[in-house]
Amino acid sequence: MPMDEKTKTLQEDFEKNFADLELVIGWETGFDRLHATPVFIRQPSELGKLVWNPLCSQNLSGYLAKNLDASIQEDGKKIGICVKGCDSRSLVALIQENFIDRDRLYIVGIPCEGTVDLRRLMHLKPSLENVRKVDIEGDEAVVETDQETLRFPIENVLARKCLRCLYPNPVIYDTMIGTPLKPRISEDKLYSAVEKFDTSDRKQRLAFWKTEFNRCIRCYACRNACPLCVCQDNCIAESRKPKWLTQRDGIREKFLFHMIHGLHLAGRCTECGE
Amino acid sequence: MRIGVFICKCGTNIANTVDTEAVARKALEYPDVVYATDYMYTCSEPGQEEIREAIIKNRLQGVVVAACTPHMHEPTFRRAVEKAGLNRYMFEQANIREHVSWVNKDRESNTIKAMDLVHMAVEKLRLNQPLFSSKVPINKRVLVIGGGIAGIQAAMDCSDGGLDVVMVERETTIGGKMAKLDKTFPTIDCSSCILGPKMVDISQKENISLHAYSEIESVSGYIGNFEVKIRKKATYVDWNACTGCGECTQKCPSKKTYDKFNEGLGSTTAINIPFPQAIPKRARINAESCLYLTKGKCKKCEKVCPADAIRFDMEDEIITEDVGAIVVATGYDMFDYSVYGEYGGGRYPDVITSLQYERILSASGPYGGHIVRPSDGKEPRNIVFLSCVGSRDASVGRPYCSGVCCMYIAKQAIITRDHLPDCNCYVSYMDIRSPGKNYDEFIRRAQEEYGINYIRGRVGKIYPKDDRLIVQGVDTLMGVQMDIEADLVVLATGLEASEGARELAEKLRISYDQYGWYMESHPKLRPVETNTAGVYLAGVCQGPKDIPASVAQGSAAAAKVQILFSRDTIETDPQVALVNERVCISCGKCIEVCPFGAIQWKTLRDGSQKAEVLPTVCQGCGLCNATCPPKAVQLQHCTDDQILAEVNAVCE
Amino acid sequence: MNKKRDMMISETGTQREKEIKIIGFLCNWCSYGGADTAGVCRFKQPTDLRIIRIPCTGRMDPLFVVKSLIYGADGVLVSGCHPKDCHYAVGNLYARRRMELLKRFLPFIGIDTNRFRYTWVSASEGQLWQQVVTEFSEEIHRLGPNAGLNEKMDAETALSLFNTK
Repeated sequence: MPMDEKTKTLQEDFEKNFADLELVIGWETGFDRLHATPVFIRQPSELGKLVWNPLCSQNLSGYLAKNLDASIQEDGKKIGICVKGCDSRSLVALIQENFIDRDRLYIVGIPCEGTVDLRRLMHLKPSLENVRKVDIEGDEAVVETDQETLRFPIENVLARKCLRCLYPNPVIYDTMIGTPLKPRISEDKLYSAVEKFDTSDRKQRLAFWKTEFNRCIRCYACRNACPLCVCQDNCIAESRKPKWLTQRDGIREKFLFHMIHGLHLAGRCTECGE
Repeated sequence: MRIGVFICKCGTNIANTVDTEAVARKALEYPDVVYATDYMYTCSEPGQEEIREAIIKNRLQGVVVAACTPHMHEPTFRRAVEKAGLNRYMFEQANIREHVSWVNKDRESNTIKAMDLVHMAVEKLRLNQPLFSSKVPINKRVLVIGGGIAGIQAAMDCSDGGLDVVMVERETTIGGKMAKLDKTFPTIDCSSCILGPKMVDISQKENISLHAYSEIESVSGYIGNFEVKIRKKATYVDWNACTGCGECTQKCPSKKTYDKFNEGLGSTTAINIPFPQAIPKRARINAESCLYLTKGKCKKCEKVCPADAIRFDMEDEIITEDVGAIVVATGYDMFDYSVYGEYGGGRYPDVITSLQYERILSASGPYGGHIVRPSDGKEPRNIVFLSCVGSRDASVGRPYCSGVCCMYIAKQAIITRDHLPDCNCYVSYMDIRSPGKNYDEFIRRAQEEYGINYIRGRVGKIYPKDDRLIVQGVDTLMGVQMDIEADLVVLATGLEASEGARELAEKLRISYDQYGWYMESHPKLRPVETNTAGVYLAGVCQGPKDIPASVAQGSAAAAKVQILFSRDTIETDPQVALVNERVCISCGKCIEVCPFGAIQWKTLRDGSQKAEVLPTVCQGCGLCNATCPPKAVQLQHCTDDQILAEVNAVCE
Repeated sequence: MNKKRDMMISETGTQREKEIKIIGFLCNWCSYGGADTAGVCRFKQPTDLRIIRIPCTGRMDPLFVVKSLIYGADGVLVSGCHPKDCHYAVGNLYARRRMELLKRFLPFIGIDTNRFRYTWVSASEGQLWQQVVTEFSEEIHRLGPNAGLNEKMDAETALSLFNTK
């Protein structure tokens, strides 16, 4: 099913069911057509804002556990949410951990061919203006602008997490838009990068992580984006009592912060790649 | 904080291998330390006096003693600082004897290590908070769940001690399995003769209220203050009116009802009193076989009842009892003998369980105490007893020994030989386990005086031939195959956790093992306590045991209740977990992991739910603290910050 | 730490190799008692271990271990009651899962997993405690001091890794 049609089906489906919903969480077009951004819809008239395209990369399930308490008031009404395959797995984790009641959700699942990594796209084509539409056709990402139609091999523009996605289809949904897709990667190749890393020696691994973590500025955006980092402002990385981390800038603090993140997600992470 | 540090020489125990003077001098460099000294015997009366004086003279707010293990003298020193006006928790002990001076003779290394340990103690102490125990009143009533011999013993002992007792029994009568037994080993005294008077006592004691034919619906609250909801199941007979005359049971036309009390030997009526000595002696209508309740016609019992006690419209009723402690004595069930298909239990009427055989032996049983076969009512000439049917067999999921079978087989065989001197008794056994007082002598009597044939080896198969049964197995001592023509085969069925034991455990928040036996708090040192404070165990529900052990445990549980109730309030240990509600993210993980059910949801005024620790239930293990992602739950006196401070003291 | 060592050297006038420091997290009921028993029996042990008493290994957040290793402890030893013997019924079972997870995670981030050990020692097993402490201390001495994560980047190693990737 082409992308525009999916957007239309998505809007129609929510219109049909809006009587039972107090809120719809989906994506809308951002400040231009090269960007998509989360949208919270409470009025049926606004449903036309909803879009589905390869720019809808944000995992919306995180909002359910974090910032919704004020809106969960009306009796019997559900929350509508759009999920890709990866997002749906986060949602399952949140439901399993009782952060959100399955019965309060109306889940619209969308099989996903992968999302475009804008940084990779900009790297190939630094000045993209007047974009009309971004879509994926087979092995190519198609970018239509007012002037031209550009085609890129997906290996070069998709988010890396999408290139090794094993779950393009939602694993939990009430309605599915479109037909299920086949994953591009086989299970045995999924962790080839990790396996390669495992073969390097211990000192190299430590050096690698030190280099990576040294770049960290402890902005906590990784934590805020993670749908399963449910502590948010109460994260022990920022807490003064107990004081696990100081405000000091140093590799030890950065390293420990990422260890906290890692160990808090051990056994819970759904590899959504957010 | 003004901290004082006291380094104990412990005579020469510490001073020989640790430079205590150097440690004391070093201690003065640690933050907040304003006073440090070493002393010959800090735990002695003058040593404690020195601590008290130093606290007052130097206005100390916290004290570190570096001495022996805190397992030895922590209480001593806490009392000492308390006497000088400090809170008992403003104290830390560094272990420089068992962990330092006694395990190495290198004076320099030992001294450095002792310095580090003192440093760690100081850093921890700097974060100590005064803690205060709170007092909670105790409701001095006790609930006993289960009216078998263990429950009866516990209830009687509590009642004799002046406590109010609530007893809940699932069946219509108390007495449990013991009421079904004919005689008891190793004395061969009559089971109902020794149990009967105790049952009567239960019914006549004014401070015991008995809820028979009732089950536990839910349990909330905690030690000292439980609220228990009890489901009184519908009996269709008003027990206040019923006199137990039994007129109804004579006239009831539905005579094919399963006779549970007689283990299915023979049948009984839909309205029924299980046995003549039942307590309470009240009739109940079995709704599944009552003609009126199933087909809408009959009501014979209503017509004949002289007390007008029949109530066909009766429904289950839920009542609430408030108690301060609970004794669980729910007993056991017999292993399902049909699991061993090769023995034919359930298919051949003359292959019976040991409990069925007890009913056959019993004078109040279905055959009036005459030993006859269920199939044709003939007296058996050969009886084979098979031990370990559902015991010590991992292949049927019962690897444990049931503990009583060896003994009751000997008892049943002896009684058989008493009744029918010409009847041959064979016992096929794996091993004989008779470790109790006078038990092995009893087995020997069975073998030597009563001429019972003990054959070591397992039976492989039982099959019918004409009207007899061929028991085929092996005699491993003789190394020959054994074929016995038997008229009756008694399977010594093992014990298993009673039906619903797991569900009840969940309600009580006590743990059970993989077989459903309830877990005691410590296998050796806390055998009747559970990990839920205020809940105690008695009898087989905790694991297979015989009557004397069950009675002993019943009394032990009663003693524990009496100990608890000997005070008017419970003083709580303040070293418990505490939730910072502002930080709690309501994930509920602490509630899930708490082994004691000490954490529950609390609804705040804004409608949000936060975790709340019940300080009286919390045992202070800190599992919730380790589990809590934002560390909103902190174990008092062992907070994250305190452990981190100790780590930092070593790492810096 | 340096200051302390200097003082010892000045007082005794002897040179010493760098003191290895091992942090032990011991549950109050079993292993702490086991260490006491070892002491009472005078079972000789190396002096590198610094014991922190916790109520139960269930109290152990693996992050305490990570924190210790990152901040320069040379080794971390966690010890509790044998599985099924936990004073609090199940605390050590949770601990076992968490410690096992950590044991497998440490190599991935480049921390030597041999610097961390968890074990079960009961209050009666003084001899076993002696054995555990002796073996682990020897292991840590063989590995040498743990620099932890010092502030300096090992640029050469990092570059070599990038080149291979």
